[in-house]
Amino acid sequence: MPRTTTVECPGCPPLRALTFDALGLIKVTESRGNSGGIPQVVERWGDADSSKCVLAASIDDRANDPILAVARKNGTIEISNPLSGDIFVSISDFGDGDGHPEDDDIAGLHIFKKSRSVGSCSLLTCTTKGNASLRSVDIAPTESTNNGASNSWKVCAAGKVLCAKVHGSEKHALFGGKGVEVNLWDLESSTKIWAAKPPPKNSLDIFTPTWFTSATFLTGDDHRKFVAGTNSHQVRVYDTSAQRRPVISFDFRETPIKSVAEDHDGYTIYAGNGSGDLASIDTRTGKLLGCFLGKCSGSIRSIARHPDHPVIASCGLDSYLRLWDVKTRELLSATFLKQHLTCVVFDSNFSDKEVVAPDAQHADEIPEEVEQEALKPAKRKKSPEEMKGKKKKSKDDGSKKSRKKSRQMESEECDVRNTVVFDIQHVNVKLVTSF
Amino acid sequence: MGAKRKKEDAPEMAEDADIDDGGCRDRRNRQKVEKKEEFRPSMIKNKEKRSAAHAKLKHQKKLEKRKTKKAREAADKQALELGEEPPQRSVPRTIENTREADETVCKPDDAELFVANDADEFSSILRRERAPKILITTCRFHSTRGPAFISELLTVIPNAHYYKRGTYDLKKIVEYATKEDFTTLIVVHTSRREPDALLVTSLPSGPTAHFKLSKLVLRKEIKNHGNPTGHVPELVLNNFTTRLGHRVGRMIQSLFPQNPDFRGRRVVTFHNQRDYIFFRHHRYIFETKESKQQDPKSKKGKDAEDKSTGQQVIARLQECGPRFVLKLKSLQHGTFDTRGGEYEWVHKPEMDTSRRRFFL
Repeated sequence: MPRTTTVECPGCPPLRALTFDALGLIKVTESRGNSGGIPQVVERWGDADSSKCVLAASIDDRANDPILAVARKNGTIEISNPLSGDIFVSISDFGDGDGHPEDDDIAGLHIFKKSRSVGSCSLLTCTTKGNASLRSVDIAPTESTNNGASNSWKVCAAGKVLCAKVHGSEKHALFGGKGVEVNLWDLESSTKIWAAKPPPKNSLDIFTPTWFTSATFLTGDDHRKFVAGTNSHQVRVYDTSAQRRPVISFDFRETPIKSVAEDHDGYTIYAGNGSGDLASIDTRTGKLLGCFLGKCSGSIRSIARHPDHPVIASCGLDSYLRLWDVKTRELLSATFLKQHLTCVVFDSNFSDKEVVAPDAQHADEIPEEVEQEALKPAKRKKSPEEMKGKKKKSKDDGSKKSRKKSRQMESEECDVRNTVVFDIQHVNVKLVTSF
Repeated sequence: MGAKRKKEDAPEMAEDADIDDGGCRDRRNRQKVEKKEEFRPSMIKNKEKRSAAHAKLKHQKKLEKRKTKKAREAADKQALELGEEPPQRSVPRTIENTREADETVCKPDDAELFVANDADEFSSILRRERAPKILITTCRFHSTRGPAFISELLTVIPNAHYYKRGTYDLKKIVEYATKEDFTTLIVVHTSRREPDALLVTSLPSGPTAHFKLSKLVLRKEIKNHGNPTGHVPELVLNNFTTRLGHRVGRMIQSLFPQNPDFRGRRVVTFHNQRDYIFFRHHRYIFETKESKQQDPKSKKGKDAEDKSTGQQVIARLQECGPRFVLKLKSLQHGTFDTRGGEYEWVHKPEMDTSRRRFFL
């Protein structure tokens, strides 16, 4: 009898994650309640081409008009719809002229969520040579080139920028890298307001060169606290209001900290390193809370925290997307995705609903149907607007609907009977605002 | 007899213990039944009695096995005499048969796999755009068998060059090799004066595989060994099924030129079994053999052409060159870098959840 120790993987709550890999493919993995919580790859977008390797990705997953921006190795930035994969616009990073050097890859990308207007978005990009630029891009396809106002500046004089993050309030950004100390910039005035100082030489007089491999802000409220991970397996917490040297510095295992992600409570972070160890650390005390054990054997390139469920996703070079429970540090599921994965983002507007046959509709939801009819012509117009009225819910209710089916239905000009059934209180709110 | 009594006493004593516990009647009965069916010698605490019980169990099993074998042979003989088919042999259970299903196994129709292959670091060598050029060196310490091993490696791998290590840093060696257009760097690492690890780095930026080397047998230690010629060898890579295995297989393939000289009749085999890669180096020759009778169980019948007249073509092998076993310990994404290294695959003890789980 073969001796096995198998651990049953509990399923995960309904969620949707997008992973980006080294061949430029975007894979959408969904976990639904009816499939037992086991995530499955539902879609695969893009052509596999190693020059299109995805370097950075950012999603603005609001309920209506969500967009996804993807930065690729050949210098293009694509803005697309995270629900259908249709590319709205594709811009070239070095479109403002100077001809691009071969090795100036994009290190960071961020979509501004607060200042979004219909039809355009603003992006912050930063390349490894330190060229940061803030530009606004028109989404609606127009004849002219779509580089709107753009504001560029140089983040560092020498060195290579490896990590760039924008704060939740979107007024500040931090940059760090190899030979580049962590800097905090004010985005409105494009000035550097703070730069870190390396810790003093240790007792043996050895000075480790600066090499930050990942960084993140701790909370969306306070731009002054952030965490950076270094190549020499250190996790450093900085507080700009206190001092320029790190406030707490914490050593984690033996390989570079490839990614850090913050939790909503503002003091827990998740750090993943080059040999696949994922751990949660309390930044107030600098203590390791615990490691996530799940047979991850490849470097963890990206960690994402779900905004609502206590779930984090990690992906990396071992080609697996793993979903973990935050509290128990248990592996919820692991999906094999065949390529080296570089980024993962959650689409928090995913709701696990299915279409219900017409006779099963409730009587009190008929008024909603009437409003839905009025919405339908509006929905036909533009693909992003088809997502109006769909809202993410943390718990399932009696009526369910599947997203794919709804899209098919709308494209086939279905009749009034097959309307979507919603939960009443959410729909009321949503419909009012959408008008 | 003490042993016998103990064996029969043990389940009853277990029952008594249950009664003493005050368990309910149902539970006791159920446990009684269970205990009677599932008795193992390891339950006996006394070592002598236990070993005697175990020996007895083994002896019984051996007798049963002998009986079934005799019965099977009798059935076969009878079937043969009657002219019927011998009864179907059951397939023995092996570790490879019962290997845990791995979702990372490469499937033959996977388009993504082909694209990934085209995009990986070895594709330029495998498409014959670059000719492989290997740089072999050692670690900083001397070893007794190391130089002999390296000289044999130089004969096995065509276009390989050996450079003494000196005190150069490995990163500097990588830079130098990239400048001189080498495609792969092999470092033979030594421990306790015996080569024990192999570090294979694809240049310029390629992955680094760290193998543990064991069971090294040099050419002079092999009886009736042959001497390899300078022909480009044929390469046999067996059983690299998973994605990781496929990648390692391609890395090994990129060490050798892609135009084998079949007339040279020289073959190098990397056979993967249960995550151990066995390296063998043979010269082969095809011979026709006069066989007096047809042997239905002949293993060499793979090349049998003319069985009716009793002529068979068989391939004879002569082993030459070293013989060793490799086991992959880690695969790093860039060139060798202990401190800043990013691993694609590293073996961790927590991954060994099952004795039927293999990664290559």
